[in-house]
Amino acid sequence: MTTVATIPTLETERLVLRALRVEDFEPLAAFYAGPRARFIGGPMSRQQAWTKFQSFLGMWVLRGYGMFAVEEKATGLLVGRVGMQWHEQVPEPEMAWSLLDGFEGRGYAAEAALAAREDAFQRHGIDAPISLIDPANAPSLALARRLGCVREPGDFTYADGHVVEVWRHPARASAGAAA
Amino acid sequence: MTFRLEIPTLETGRLRLRAPRQEDFEPFAAFFAAPRTEYIGGPLGRSDAWWGLAGTLGMWAFRGFGMWMVEEKASGAVIGRVGPWRPDGWPEPEIGWSLFEGHEGKGYATEAALEARDWAYRSAGWTTAISLIAPENAASKAVATRLGCHREGDFVHPEEGWHAEIWRHPSAAELSA
Repeated sequence: MTTVATIPTLETERLVLRALRVEDFEPLAAFYAGPRARFIGGPMSRQQAWTKFQSFLGMWVLRGYGMFAVEEKATGLLVGRVGMQWHEQVPEPEMAWSLLDGFEGRGYAAEAALAAREDAFQRHGIDAPISLIDPANAPSLALARRLGCVREPGDFTYADGHVVEVWRHPARASAGAAA
Repeated sequence: MTFRLEIPTLETGRLRLRAPRQEDFEPFAAFFAAPRTEYIGGPLGRSDAWWGLAGTLGMWAFRGFGMWMVEEKASGAVIGRVGPWRPDGWPEPEIGWSLFEGHEGKGYATEAALEARDWAYRSAGWTTAISLIAPENAASKAVATRLGCHREGDFVHPEEGWHAEIWRHPSAAELSA
């Protein structure tokens, strides 16, 4: 056997960030089929969601970092996903987050994103990554601001024509100062 | 707790079956851009091909089996993809194979698929296997026949509606008898 990827488990006060498991597919597929997924390339079919789901794991092999499942410590429930990704068509590594329906409004996305951003810096030396956000995704734009991100001039257009804003996370030194 | 994704490397007389990696993307994308991939869900743009390569790896994490890239030992060239897999919606676990452009006609698909099937029976605990083949894909049906498969029926994907023939492999018990 050859080890091709190693995925750590991270903990915050209320959350556990861990490797995605096959049991996470049903709640994620339900989210991707729903209207809130319109900001991230959805709503999508189960088949498209499966491809996406698998590729979250594959990212860890191809890039050495990737997406974590976010679990609520108190209940063990999957509440979302957060992490770094770098798709071939995107100009640089990107930090992404999604909360499943019903888990918004508790500060979970910010808590998870801060832990994932710290890990990306500590273990992979990724400083001041971008996040790509649909212009109509108000909750995500609000979160980017809370995380200290600043909008970059110029938008990014995916191969399918979807246009998103580019938000730059603070460089390490200024992130510390803002906290 | 740390999750470790482990993928074995296998060898046959002429081929090496190993985990996909980033450098495989260009040949992978070139293959999936070609019209002949219409039988296996293509053609795909570069963007979807990237998801496809990453997804090939994810199968290993979620199922404990998946597809390897096939390397020609003599040249080191990546010549295809083979392995056991089971995407969501599949009727049962499948052995799949694809040869990249220019590597057909050398018996590579059969050599790789035999090794992959042996591994699925020996190491993944499978007792039987199918292969789903588009009715027009004569080259793939010829490989299935060489692998000892027989036509068993048809499959229509529940969500996407595409149709494929089901080819049944000899079972683990039949092969070890």
